[in-house]
Amino acid sequence: MKKKQIAIELKNITKRYVLHHEKPTFSEQMIRRSKKEEFVALDDVSLTIYKGESVGIIGPNGAGKTTLLKVIAGIATPTSGTVSVYGRVVSLIDLEAGFNPELTGEENIYLNGLVIGMRRKEIEKVFKKIVAFADIGNFIDAPLYTYSQGMKLRLGFSVAVHANPDILILDEGMAVGDEEFRGKSGERIRQFFKEGKTVLMVSHWLEFLEKYAKRIALVEGGKLIEVGGLVILKEYVREKN
Amino acid sequence: MFSEKQLFWLEFVWAMTVKEIKARYKHAILGFLWIILNPLLQMLVIGFVFQFFLPVHVDNYFLFLFSGLLPWIFFSFTLTKCTPAIVYERSLIKKARFPREAIILSIVFSNVFHLLVSLALLLIVLLFIGKVALLQLLLLPIAIIWIALLASGLSLLATALNARFRDVNFFVQAVVPLWFYATPIVYTLDLIPQNLHALFYLNPMTAVIEAFRFALLGMPITQLSYWLVSVVASLALCVLGWVVFQRESKYFDDWV
Repeated sequence: MKKKQIAIELKNITKRYVLHHEKPTFSEQMIRRSKKEEFVALDDVSLTIYKGESVGIIGPNGAGKTTLLKVIAGIATPTSGTVSVYGRVVSLIDLEAGFNPELTGEENIYLNGLVIGMRRKEIEKVFKKIVAFADIGNFIDAPLYTYSQGMKLRLGFSVAVHANPDILILDEGMAVGDEEFRGKSGERIRQFFKEGKTVLMVSHWLEFLEKYAKRIALVEGGKLIEVGGLVILKEYVREKN
Repeated sequence: MFSEKQLFWLEFVWAMTVKEIKARYKHAILGFLWIILNPLLQMLVIGFVFQFFLPVHVDNYFLFLFSGLLPWIFFSFTLTKCTPAIVYERSLIKKARFPREAIILSIVFSNVFHLLVSLALLLIVLLFIGKVALLQLLLLPIAIIWIALLASGLSLLATALNARFRDVNFFVQAVVPLWFYATPIVYTLDLIPQNLHALFYLNPMTAVIEAFRFALLGMPITQLSYWLVSVVASLALCVLGWVVFQRESKYFDDWV
């Protein structure tokens, strides 16, 4: 049997946030050395995900799911613990982050590609595919503010899926664009599963997880309660009802 | 020569700089004219007013003023735009992982580009009226690098602090106009009592402005030995800005 390769390894991850009630100011800091109120978003979480696994992360709102994904994506830095991520992480959760409304579709493709972590050469190689997949036609030379919401989403999705991710982060709210595009994007995501990419999903939509996730991680109150097969999902649903 | 990571960093900063320049001028009707129009208007107004009550002994007060205003405008625009930049770009910071300093450096570099354009125009004028000091001109690239480093260091520091303490932006907004008068831009240093000169050179912008005037107009430097103070202060700010930014940037997501 081939040795399993690690895609993501989290060791004793703790993430604490300082709670602010007001905008933090320097002058205030000087006047009263206020005691910091802290909030523990992740509490000693250790998790290893192997290449090609598809893992669903479940848990109630505010359990720490988003923080966990942010730590994996390298957006947030944990207070303590080590994160090792092997490969390019691409998130399909917020597709418009790197867009600038004043620039054209073409310029935005390059900008967004770079924000995801692609090299210019890579973007050049898949540029035509990105445009074709997003199906934005002549608008490619028009500034982004002239785009409809659907067009922007399609463009964002198209750049993200053409970034050749090693690790994909998905969200259930993946309803991108019109009926036709939804079919196309769904098809593309299924292809990622077939290609054996590592996929992380956050969802409340249990049918979606049942269909795609092989492993489930249950997070509650910042703690990783359980990791295992789909049984966890079923138990979780039963308890909730 | 460069690693894959460094090449990506360079590409990223470059792309952000181009974006910064393009996005700014795409829809301005006068486009690039604004680069030069702004210092020109300031020169006219300040020049008109101050020539009456400042006993500055220079050949041409307007040229003197303009050659000081260009670097000052670069510096003040960069600092005031960079300070809130990390907070303004929160949507990007909260959603993607990328070298955070690119946000700041792209603003610095786009302003360097504007500075170069306006300096080129000034040089054309100087050539026309036969005022270029050719040998001194060699100092111009050094002056540009110096001011760019100083502005980057201070901007990195201010923006990193502003992510954590939102009143840093107000502080910068209050200080920049005062700083303008603390720097010999509308006046020359020889109007100041000599025993205060060292104090003026603690402000690195004093030496920087002098460097620009020396390079462009061949104007004498008041106290070359004090430049060391300015150089050291600039480098210290630069290192401090970089170190603080690198330390804080890991946690920008928590604060913005």
